[in-house]
Amino acid sequence: MNTNLWISKNKISLLILFLVFSLNTLGQTKYEERVDKYKSRWENLIPTHQKIQYAGGMGLFSLGVGWDYGKNNQWETDAFLGFLPRYNTKRGKVTFTLKQNFIPWKKRINHRISLEPLTTGMYVNTIFDNKFWMSNPDKYPNNYYTFSTKMRFWIFVGQRITFHFPEEKLRRMKEVTFFYELSSCDLYIVNAVGNSSLKPTDYLKLSFGLKFQIF
Amino acid sequence: MVFSVCLAGCEMIEYHPYDGRVSGEKHINSKNIIRIEEECKDKEIIRFAFIGDTQRRNDETLDFVNHLNKRNDIDFVMHGGDVADFGLTKEYIWMRDILNKLNVPYVVLLGNHDCLANGKGVFEEVFGEVNFSFFAGSTQFVCLNTNALEFDYSHPVPDFRFIEGEVGKELEGHKNTIVAMHAPPFDEQFNNNVANVFQYSITRFKNLQFCLNAHQHRLSTSDLFNDGIIYYGVPDISKRQYFIFTLLADNKYEYELVDF
Repeated sequence: MNTNLWISKNKISLLILFLVFSLNTLGQTKYEERVDKYKSRWENLIPTHQKIQYAGGMGLFSLGVGWDYGKNNQWETDAFLGFLPRYNTKRGKVTFTLKQNFIPWKKRINHRISLEPLTTGMYVNTIFDNKFWMSNPDKYPNNYYTFSTKMRFWIFVGQRITFHFPEEKLRRMKEVTFFYELSSCDLYIVNAVGNSSLKPTDYLKLSFGLKFQIF
Repeated sequence: MVFSVCLAGCEMIEYHPYDGRVSGEKHINSKNIIRIEEECKDKEIIRFAFIGDTQRRNDETLDFVNHLNKRNDIDFVMHGGDVADFGLTKEYIWMRDILNKLNVPYVVLLGNHDCLANGKGVFEEVFGEVNFSFFAGSTQFVCLNTNALEFDYSHPVPDFRFIEGEVGKELEGHKNTIVAMHAPPFDEQFNNNVANVFQYSITRFKNLQFCLNAHQHRLSTSDLFNDGIIYYGVPDISKRQYFIFTLLADNKYEYELVDF
């Protein structure tokens, strides 16, 4: 009786031990799996490249990060912070830009160089300063000014040349791309439409930049 | 060739449409006022043109300039304000470059659109002070910022201290005064709380003959305060019309609305 009891007690504790153990290992695996999935999902958000742009209506220069995606990486989305000195205004300003690029063709010239003969896209720029508004403030009669001074919409076309680093010499990045763009924004286009005396050099803007492909 | 391509390229480099980066000629009004005062000195009859609201009408403004350059009876041109529509830095520069083609000197008043975003600073850099005056022949021209809706109480619009200073000025041979502004009293842009006080203070000028305004984009001639002082409102430049005022001896004047 005592022996039996001991055996059954022993069995039960073994069973409990087993259950606890198995539950434990099972739980850890699931947890780890979830953490891995969670991490890999966030990993997709790690920017694949960095950019620096000169001019183009988003600041004297702008620093940005972005993502390449699509079957041939023909799409790129960038987010920039731009820096604008004060010139003849009250103070210097910071701007923020969201930029969508489309690169339909890439032409490999040799193992080191490739060309992107056409890039196009659009960007939206907003300026951080209390003199600028999205729509005219309440003090004005309705529809006194029907546009936003704060937000500008731009379209552009451009070209690029990319230098690929040999794999054995990779240091900080895979590729460096130089690009230039011709762009115009909503309010320049509105000005150009009604005025034949305005020249393309008046309403088209020129900008340059570098793209550093990290991975 | 290469140089001109580079030059065009430089023109096309812009940091922001509202960056306030002004290239080319600056402080137009003060330079032109020196010319006006010299050229009109001791003249008995003064004839000037008054235009307004040229915003986003570069073509018509250019036509006006070409038309006016064919006349040789005009002493100077006054622009009643609104050179810019959106307050973009380039809008002031484009309009300056068109008006600079005038053979005669010109001055520009501040319009409400010229105040948008960074506009006032750019206007001051390109054209000059927002309240200013000059003396042509025997007439004092007082040009005032009346765009009160664009400012808050930290900035006096209209600026009575400036008006006081002008009233107290001793000018040799001063006989008459003309007051010019962008928005007239009783317009929603004007500080109508002080409309009557404004009229009282400008009628203290030596023989105030009449007032000039733009802003409403239509022709108007009205005795706003029923005191005999006529406010002449000029149509915007898209109507292809402008005023000519001829200041005659004996405090008389004539005016004409001209089509071009």
